[in-house]
Amino acid sequence: MTARVNSDLRRAIVDLVYKGRDGHIPSAFSIVDLLDHLYGEVLRYDPKAPQWPDRDYFILSKGHGCVALYAVLRKYGFLTDRDLEGFCREGGLLGEHPDSRKVPGAEASTGSLGHGMPFAVGIALGLRIQGAENRIVTLVGDGECHEGTIWESANIAVNLKLGRLCVVVDWNGSAAQLMPQDDLPAKWAAFGWNVRVIDGHAPLEIAAAFAEWRPESVGVPRVIVARTVKGKGVPMIEGHGQWHHRIPSPEDYRAILEILSRP
Amino acid sequence: MTPKPIRQQFADTMLEVGQTDPKLCVLVGDISHFALQPFAKVCPGRYYNIGICEPSMVSVAAGLAKTGLYPVVHTIAPFLIERSFEQFKLDFCYHGLGGSIVTVGSAFDYSNLGCTHHCYGDFALMKTLPGTHIYYPATAAEFDALFRATYKDGRLKLLRLPTRSHTALLPEAVRPGRIVRVREGADLTILATGPQLDSALGAADILAAKSHKTEVLYAPTIRPLDTETLGASVAKTRRIVVVEEHLRSGGLGDDVLRALAGTGPFAYRSVSIPDTLITDYGTYDQHCRRLGLTPQGVAEAAAQILTPGRR
Repeated sequence: MTARVNSDLRRAIVDLVYKGRDGHIPSAFSIVDLLDHLYGEVLRYDPKAPQWPDRDYFILSKGHGCVALYAVLRKYGFLTDRDLEGFCREGGLLGEHPDSRKVPGAEASTGSLGHGMPFAVGIALGLRIQGAENRIVTLVGDGECHEGTIWESANIAVNLKLGRLCVVVDWNGSAAQLMPQDDLPAKWAAFGWNVRVIDGHAPLEIAAAFAEWRPESVGVPRVIVARTVKGKGVPMIEGHGQWHHRIPSPEDYRAILEILSRP
Repeated sequence: MTPKPIRQQFADTMLEVGQTDPKLCVLVGDISHFALQPFAKVCPGRYYNIGICEPSMVSVAAGLAKTGLYPVVHTIAPFLIERSFEQFKLDFCYHGLGGSIVTVGSAFDYSNLGCTHHCYGDFALMKTLPGTHIYYPATAAEFDALFRATYKDGRLKLLRLPTRSHTALLPEAVRPGRIVRVREGADLTILATGPQLDSALGAADILAAKSHKTEVLYAPTIRPLDTETLGASVAKTRRIVVVEEHLRSGGLGDDVLRALAGTGPFAYRSVSIPDTLITDYGTYDQHCRRLGLTPQGVAEAAAQILTPGRR
């Protein structure tokens, strides 16, 4: 697997969690390379006018990965360092799940799993009804795919032929911890989606998957099933163990930053 | 003359409003599909029979609202209000989005279908969502008026459509947030909502034969409650019976008690659904009789507090 380092973003994520005393580092490391590519290369937006009508929409359906979203929104100009300093603090904009009424650039308030994707389906339908050409991307977790509403809305989207909708699945193996039948690409294909499987940390594969996407008003929605590693980039936190919702100790913090500083 | 079914008026109102407002969209869960075909034909691309997946239908509707449209979601009450409750809480309310929930089959309207198809805690559930409004239009004209007045007010709202209309002639048109005083009296107030207005008026007739003058109030809006009209009536009568096809807990009666608390002594009775699940079968009228939701049942509740000295 080709690693994309993205050390600066990973460091920002660890800083958020260490200083805010809350957050899910491994879930964020799992998706941060995908988010960086989306905001850097794919989505159209104006960080100074987050409600710009012609923007593309990104909905983080797995809301507990939001520290990755915050770090990326900072990198691309939606948030400031001061905003990040308020993470999980009284009066701050940023909590452990994104609140779209507070966070510039967060299109949906998510956290309870299985809401963001059907909400994105509604946005895609609403924009098409009004003749708009915005693209809609939503990222769901593979554990989130246990939720019935993911498959309800997958069924709705394909039957409504929402061709401007792209779902990214963060396939980091969380789901298989509980339900070992780990055949997500086959499931999405069975629902009639245009399926592409990639390495979710490999820049060239990520770029190719989005470059191939041909959004159209009436068409088959696309799903990019991205094989990822929970905690990717820092071996001591990779996998499905105790780090899921663990706050680094000062020693952990120094060790993680040291690993991320390696060339 | 048989009154126009409220559900038919729902379809007719969608057709009429949809022709003038391109932002009106209707999503249904395989209910009223044929009745809504005129809307579907005249407003292409704005009608969707989503299928049997109510929670996602609600989330999709919230997504429509996010893009500036006015969504209406419609199916059988328990599958919308109870099954999809978190979707209303998070996808509409947390996002500050507006939309119209239009239900059929509330209370025990689908009497023979049993517990799975009953829904008599909907007022209580919706009241836990701050900012939402609750309407219970019980004639075709009332639905039409309340929908047109509220569908684009930016709030999430429930419009509970009963199968049966009340048969009263109201002295004024219904308006959102207003109680209608249907009959004046000084001895007792009966506040009814939904088709039970007929039971309230029938009870008033029974009581009139015993020389009791009953004031009958009618509430097509459950929330926000018109506390001004309510308070003025009870200040005069000091006695009130609330009649509703809803659980006693969390219903209109509870709001009445809260509104009247601290306004002086008054006597109160509730004619409603006891806090239990209904597992009986039978017709709508048979259910009403079992629960005392009849003119005689309401009159009996009233008699308990009309006795001098009883509170």
